[in-house]
Amino acid sequence: MGRLTAFLRLFHQFSLRHLVRHRGRAVTVLLGIGLGAAVFTSVRLSVDASLSSFGRSVDLLAGRADRVVVEVTGAVPETLVAPLRRHPAVSAAAPVMTTYVRPAGDEARSFLLVGIDPILDRPMRTWTAEKRDGKTVTAWQRLMATPATLVAGASLARDLGWRVGDRVPLEHAMGRQDFEVAGILADEQLGRAEAGRLAIVDLATFQELTGRFGFVERIDLILRPDVSTGDLEALAALMPPGVSLQTPGGAKATGTAMVRAYQINLSVLSFASLFVGMFLVYSLVALNAASRRPELAILRSLGATPRRIFALFIGEGAVFGILGWALAIPVSTVLVKFLLDGVSRTISTLFVRVEIDRLALSPLEIGASFVLTVGVAVAAAWQPAREAMKVAPKEVLTQSPVTAEDGPGARRLALGGFGCILAALPLARIPGLPGLPLPGYLATLLLFVGFALLSPWGLRRLGGWFADGGDVPFVLAVRYVRDSGTRTAVSVGALITAVALFTALVIMVHSFRRTVEVWVTQTLSGDLFVAPKMAEAINFQDLMTDADMQVVRSLETPATVVPHRRYNLEHQGVPYTLEAMPMIPFLRQGDFVWYQGPAEAIRPALREGKGVVVSEVFANRTGLTAGDRFEADLGRAVVKWPILGVIRDYRTQGGVVFADLDALLAVVPDAGWTGVRFYLPQDSAGVEHLRQELIARCGDRLDMVTGADLRQSILEVFDETFAVTTVLLLVALAVAALGITTTLTVLVLERTRQLNTLLAVGGSRRQIRRMIFTEAAFLVALGEAAGLVCGFLLSYLLIYVINRQSFGWTFIYRVDWAALGFSVPLIVATALAAAVPALRQVFRRPPATLLRER
Amino acid sequence: MKPDPVIIASGLKRVYPLGESQVVGLAGIDLAIDTGALVVLKGVSGSGKSTLLALLAGLDRPSAGRLVVAGRDLAGAGEADLTIFRREVVGMVFQNFNLLPTLTVLENVSIPALLAGRPRSETLRRADELLAWLGMTPRRHHFPAQLSGGEMQRTAIARALINDPPIILADEPTGNLDSANGAAVIELLADLNRRWQRTVIIATHSTIADPYATVRILLKDGAIVDGSWAD
Ligand SMILES: Nc1ncnc2c1ncn2[C@@H]1O[C@H](COP(=O)(O)OP(=O)(O)O)[C@@H](O)[C@H]1O
Ligand SMILES: [Mg+2]
Repeated sequence: MGRLTAFLRLFHQFSLRHLVRHRGRAVTVLLGIGLGAAVFTSVRLSVDASLSSFGRSVDLLAGRADRVVVEVTGAVPETLVAPLRRHPAVSAAAPVMTTYVRPAGDEARSFLLVGIDPILDRPMRTWTAEKRDGKTVTAWQRLMATPATLVAGASLARDLGWRVGDRVPLEHAMGRQDFEVAGILADEQLGRAEAGRLAIVDLATFQELTGRFGFVERIDLILRPDVSTGDLEALAALMPPGVSLQTPGGAKATGTAMVRAYQINLSVLSFASLFVGMFLVYSLVALNAASRRPELAILRSLGATPRRIFALFIGEGAVFGILGWALAIPVSTVLVKFLLDGVSRTISTLFVRVEIDRLALSPLEIGASFVLTVGVAVAAAWQPAREAMKVAPKEVLTQSPVTAEDGPGARRLALGGFGCILAALPLARIPGLPGLPLPGYLATLLLFVGFALLSPWGLRRLGGWFADGGDVPFVLAVRYVRDSGTRTAVSVGALITAVALFTALVIMVHSFRRTVEVWVTQTLSGDLFVAPKMAEAINFQDLMTDADMQVVRSLETPATVVPHRRYNLEHQGVPYTLEAMPMIPFLRQGDFVWYQGPAEAIRPALREGKGVVVSEVFANRTGLTAGDRFEADLGRAVVKWPILGVIRDYRTQGGVVFADLDALLAVVPDAGWTGVRFYLPQDSAGVEHLRQELIARCGDRLDMVTGADLRQSILEVFDETFAVTTVLLLVALAVAALGITTTLTVLVLERTRQLNTLLAVGGSRRQIRRMIFTEAAFLVALGEAAGLVCGFLLSYLLIYVINRQSFGWTFIYRVDWAALGFSVPLIVATALAAAVPALRQVFRRPPATLLRER
Repeated sequence: MKPDPVIIASGLKRVYPLGESQVVGLAGIDLAIDTGALVVLKGVSGSGKSTLLALLAGLDRPSAGRLVVAGRDLAGAGEADLTIFRREVVGMVFQNFNLLPTLTVLENVSIPALLAGRPRSETLRRADELLAWLGMTPRRHHFPAQLSGGEMQRTAIARALINDPPIILADEPTGNLDSANGAAVIELLADLNRRWQRTVIIATHSTIADPYATVRILLKDGAIVDGSWAD
């Protein structure tokens, strides 16, 4: 205890006072690490809030079920409910159906509709609803007794202005129906699922609306407490083909797993800012350790142990970590409000639908951010602290002037750096766990570290080349840069990291977008896309009615018709879509984006229904590729086709397998259509004409979107997703600029005496400013150049390793020269602007201070 | 014939603001130094020696008063004029040498001429001459960290001479040297004064330069003590 207070007192007197005395730099560094920590924390908090809302909602909807009965295509025969209820192993069984519907004419506000049997469901889920005014009939009785009644979630009712007794029109695949609001759910239990944006109806009402008679989506079971394995086996034996007994939580696990890759990517990206902040801490602690060497010698000679000196500097790092974190938390709570919207929307559009119920600042995340920020800051202080503890007490007697750092150090670091860069490539080839691209990220880290280690040597070389050219300010600057050693190199390292990240992401995002553009124009070609209402939201689970199919077959407007039948399936736990469409018209009008061909050889076979093509994601996730056999259980039949080739596809719900529709119909004759796309002849004014004809003949049972709108909206989602990325990037660059400011300012302050000597022997202020500016230019030039090289390497890693390991896809490599050409000079300008505070420091202390003894 | 004074000061004052109050560096002195003088400036620590030298060197500006050095009015001079003044008129020697650590001896000596835009080859030749005269030729490619204190100060003297200034200012030039090296440095400065007619001003609180003084000034609390100093 006494030792600790003694240490803290020394720390206060020796370290804290010094930091406060030079608060300018300390504040800059604090700002850097705080900003980094804030970005990291708020990104994590946003994803966490989205995920936990999703998880809570899924749990509430799942209720108390121990097991669920499901079918591959989502159609469990309703007749199974009775035998299940009678089964000795089962204490309760309740059928459930869910879908998304929307208030008529309100495209934007779709919500979850849950169909249940109010009596059978009572052991499973708890919910209460306000009773109808004055009457004793409870809401659940009314749901059963009166068709077309619903109980609405509290926030849904509030949003839409619904009151008990209102009649509200809803739209679904089968058209539109008026409902009566029988009650409003209390904001508890099931009423909290989907953040209160849901409605409950009776199973019969549900089937009426959706036309799915005789089937339910799943049957939830509660088992008896004393159930034996024999009972369970008997239960499983009850299942007809295609139907299986599973544990609940599958949906949550799949959903969370899909989001995980996105979460990790964002975390890593936001960690970059913290990483750059680490360079800042390092540079300041290293400066203090170096410039206070004489003081350290005094402390040592007065009896301080090396360990204590070490602790002093580690403490300095920890102070930056703790204060940076303390700064980051309030900033994050503000930042998260901006990020949350973008992040949850991205997760909703790309992976699983989330409704944010509340913004809980997860204590776990906040704790993790503390550990990480302080850890990073302490790690940054480690090496300087070790240097400091080597100061010998006898140095107090020697009056050695500041000398340039030794050369071999830079050489050794460079060799290490080369080693890291070389090791990055083989490391990247190690396959990652699904959705967790650990080797990819490690390789990235190695690249960053490698290039940062190269920078002292790079500065020496660069200085060497220019050492003899130019006038005095130039030569002096080059000399200084050459000899200033690792401390200068550190801020170059920070700049390299930020520039590399920037370059790599610019290239990746551009490649991604260009590939997606090709994909939407070829694979999503077509002029009008038609599907049953809400098909998009419920993943094309509904079939078009026979009547509508008949209409499409006999249209007056001339158009090529390409119908499709989609199945949402799983291959050994990997979700994917099987999409069958007539290949002859499709391949005439559109095409796949081929990944593994040869396309010329595959197209004819595909047209003849001799096999399927699978997406890159499907191939990477399942390990099945060209030459292998694709097999799928469609419930009523099992299809087996050879895989002819691999194509690129960028839907986020997993992989996709494309088959010929006729080949499917040969196995499942009444497969039906889940949607249709139309190609119109070139000259026709047709899209609007076609739409009008469909409306006239099918009423409003179908959702229609023009091909142009569909493609546009996909690209918009894409751009929105990467808006978050752009923000993260800019922060990393800003932190790097702070690094340049700190380093240069420190370099100037450290040399006040030398600069004043130059002035005293006849240098003009302009010459000295030019010298500092030249130094800045060298640091920036090296940081920028090495950053670009590192960035190009990194872009390969991102596109071919990390994206593949995270999402299963790669892109066609394209460099966005325009964006790079525009932004690189901008970064140079920013980095040079970061030198301005240093220039202003140059003459802050009057030159006459030269004459004062040190 | 009595030569014109090369340094004329009247009412020369320098005060340093220190929060609300101020510290007096120079309290308003009058001074006239003739060309070719060897001035020894004495006074205890804090008496204002360095303050005066900084003003004479054009490193600082007076708070009040008149200061003309080599015909140039320093009190009203702009920054550009001061730079030219420092290049052409004065050479400085410091107590702690103030050599640039990343430059060799030869480079350190050349710097003032190169900053003034003199041709490189001519500068290097002159620097070599000076170093030879000072016995530093074997050391010309060494870095300051590799030199002894005496060698560092000789390098600094060569640097002060490279632009051929008529005035040499030395602030405690022996303060960081042992007595033998200190004596050698003073001998050098006196030699410059005798043989090359440079005006030399040495600020010191020791007696080492006393024998060479042609003018003796004693400062106390920023003011010149009447009659200057006697032995
Ligand atoms: N930059 C400064 N700021 C404040 N006070 C100063 C400054 N420089 C010198 N002084 C003060 O001016 C007085 C004269 O100092 P100085 O000229 O350095 O004396 P000397 O060189 O004779 O030791 C002292 O009291 C000193 O503290
Ligand atoms: Mg002094």
